Amino acid sequence: MTETAPARIWPRLRADRWAVGGATVAALLIVAAAAAPLLTSTDPYTYDLDAVSGSGVPLGTGGGIGADHWLGVEPMTGRDLFAIVLHGARTSLLVGVGATLVAVLIGVAVGATAGFAGGWWDALASRTTDVVFGFPALIFMIALSAVAPPEIPRLLIVVLVVGFFGWPPIARVVRAQTITLRHRTFVVAAVALGARPHQVLWRHILPNLLPTVLVFGTMLIPSMIGAEAALSFLGVGVPPPTPSWGRTIGDAVSWVQLDPMYLLVPGTALFAATLSFNLLGDGLRDALDPKLRELRR
Amino acid sequence: MRARHAVAAAATVILGLTGCNANPTAPAEPSGFAKGGTLRILSSSTEFSLDPAKSQSLAITSSGLVLRRLTTWDISPGKPPAVVPDLATDTGRTTDGGKTWTFTLKDGLTFPDGSPITTRDIKYGVERSFAPELGGGLGYHKTLLDGGEAYKGPYTGASLASIVTPDDKTITFTLKTAYGDWPWIVSMPAFSPVPKASDDPANYGKNPVPSGPYRITSYTAGAEAVLERNPAWKQETDQVRTAGPDKIIFQLGQDTTVAAQRLVADSGDDKGAFGANFVPPAQLAQAQSNPSVKDRIVTSSPGALAYLVINTRRVTDVRVRQALAYASDKRAYLVASGGELGGSPASTLITPGIPGRVAYDLYPTTDPAGDVAKAKELLTAAGQTAPKLTLLTRSDGQWSSQAQALQQGFARAGITVEIRTEEYESWFEHVTSGERDDYDLTLTSWQPDFPSANGNIAPLFASTEIGGGGFNLSRYSAPEVDQLIAAATAEVDPARSGALWAQADKRILQDVPVVPLIYTRNSFLRGSSVENFYIGEYPTYPNYLKASLKQ
Repeated sequence: MTETAPARIWPRLRADRWAVGGATVAALLIVAAAAAPLLTSTDPYTYDLDAVSGSGVPLGTGGGIGADHWLGVEPMTGRDLFAIVLHGARTSLLVGVGATLVAVLIGVAVGATAGFAGGWWDALASRTTDVVFGFPALIFMIALSAVAPPEIPRLLIVVLVVGFFGWPPIARVVRAQTITLRHRTFVVAAVALGARPHQVLWRHILPNLLPTVLVFGTMLIPSMIGAEAALSFLGVGVPPPTPSWGRTIGDAVSWVQLDPMYLLVPGTALFAATLSFNLLGDGLRDALDPKLRELRR
Repeated sequence: MRARHAVAAAATVILGLTGCNANPTAPAEPSGFAKGGTLRILSSSTEFSLDPAKSQSLAITSSGLVLRRLTTWDISPGKPPAVVPDLATDTGRTTDGGKTWTFTLKDGLTFPDGSPITTRDIKYGVERSFAPELGGGLGYHKTLLDGGEAYKGPYTGASLASIVTPDDKTITFTLKTAYGDWPWIVSMPAFSPVPKASDDPANYGKNPVPSGPYRITSYTAGAEAVLERNPAWKQETDQVRTAGPDKIIFQLGQDTTVAAQRLVADSGDDKGAFGANFVPPAQLAQAQSNPSVKDRIVTSSPGALAYLVINTRRVTDVRVRQALAYASDKRAYLVASGGELGGSPASTLITPGIPGRVAYDLYPTTDPAGDVAKAKELLTAAGQTAPKLTLLTRSDGQWSSQAQALQQGFARAGITVEIRTEEYESWFEHVTSGERDDYDLTLTSWQPDFPSANGNIAPLFASTEIGGGGFNLSRYSAPEVDQLIAAATAEVDPARSGALWAQADKRILQDVPVVPLIYTRNSFLRGSSVENFYIGEYPTYPNYLKASLKQ
């Protein structure tokens, strides 16, 4: 894996149609989320009670689809569903990427030091990884979100909490990889020439871990997005009225018979986001490890 | 004092949660009260305890099926609520203008073991409601009875001197001051008989000694309570209960959405079921669009007051509070509450259907969505053009979407509102304990525990109800209002007390400690075989005592 240069990865990745599709959708989502205010005529907070009936049901077909509201409106409020979904993408991507960064930072720090140092630190770190890995994370996240002091922004809490429970798989893979790297000739040579441990770790081991981390990080994003959606679905994610796919899906469940579009729109967005990042991650892994790909064929 | 606070507050909130008034179109007059069948009642609650000392139940719901009181309520469609004799022969006699009240029991009343129901059992039932370990029930009597504040219940060996039972049939209550609504007070659960020998404070609620037509025959915690006939109950002694079904099963812990969907589907056993909780907006809209289901929705007339609480200790400038009143988007709030079937815009504290109510609007707006320009003007005058406020609300049900409806309304006037949500229990503790005064606004609703303006005003605005479990969530304290409340409470003449309450209503809203939002309406769903399922003018809950099944 150490010999894989970016120049060799790119053609392989490009040849993988699924990965290209995933990358395209993911890129579109990121652009749409970034440009959300430019793409929508209204913000996701403005009520439009003329778009709903007296009892709060969206007027018109498909949950109020029309020129003003491309994807219809939210029942009971008349808020624009397109705006809610686009701004919800910001929340999802922010949490997805933010939590992944947190998880990667902790995972690499724990995994690399454990694999490199060995001994008691390795034992301690590995056991801790096992414990966190086996933890009923969702229940703990719900409890943590419920007791967190209101002064801390909820978005930050969600990022930290979701990220904290995402690092064990990375730590395990990074540790295993570090152990193999430690016995490679160039590392042994560096140590023999008198390089300090932190120099070896920083200059020789970490750069070689990068491809692995990249693949795992990409594949972690969708599960982080899913975790945020689950928390918001359960009512302990980002607070209303900040748009969130999970919360909209949660609200929409009780409306599904009357206004299926209300569930379908954020559900499709969530599906597209998680699938695209998964496909991209898969493609990256195959491109970085051609042997694996050949085995699969 | 403390106990009473806790009691009154808890009681009303539960009502508030569940309640509103009833009776838009009176359903077809029941053909008759058929006997037999199994009635199922679907409830989201996981608790089922009928301990009369701890109960906040209305006279016409679950506890009324098992426990009779001195008086009870006659609730019929299209008729004002009436207090009628239950165990007593009349609704009470007073010879001194309402300070002492005497009741006599009917003949032939017995417990299931054949022993007669005596006034000593009623006295004991009232006394045990004073015990600190049995808190949480409706406790209006605790501050009204002479010596009630110092009394700590019968378990310490003491008895309450202001309740006298000269013989097995007679009972006399001596109050601290004259109280004209006492006949309503003795319809509350604490005034049902409890035989001393059967008392077990910790478990009595699971198996109370019945005086009504049913007794609890099995109880599975959190899942199910089964009620079957009490053979000792005699129809001829009871003018309100019809005791139609042979068996009543309370199915507990039911998700309200799922329960509503089951009732909409109306299959199997669910034909003989009704929901004890409000139908959620989505299912309500769905049920309305389906003609075969529409007939099975029972909606109350506007009843409980849903209101925005302004913490007067934190939002001290009355102009800012007035601005909040003008900027409140009652239209969006109403839609978030279910639209037309969810209620109607409110402007007074005394709710419709309560005798003596005077309609008025101190902060009129041509559009129910509010008057943003006026709100901005007031904010400019107050020198606070962009106030930032915290709204604390419950995370369950519609509270969050209702809070958002208000939030967007306030945003139009430049008022930034941050919404914080808490679980119901935590929210309740937060707003009633008075220890953490860290919210500017909160949302709640309130229905009086008995149909008197007293119940609309005193528990919410008397300065004695601040903190300690009291429901004066605005922390509102005005000596003038306290005096008006005292004067109105002591007034026995209904016309004069009514006028005083109406005066207090208006006086309080001049200070805007709350913004009345809507008078809520409650909708319930029943299965197709349930008959005589209706809501009277008050309260906004169905009458369980007369529901029967088509045979």
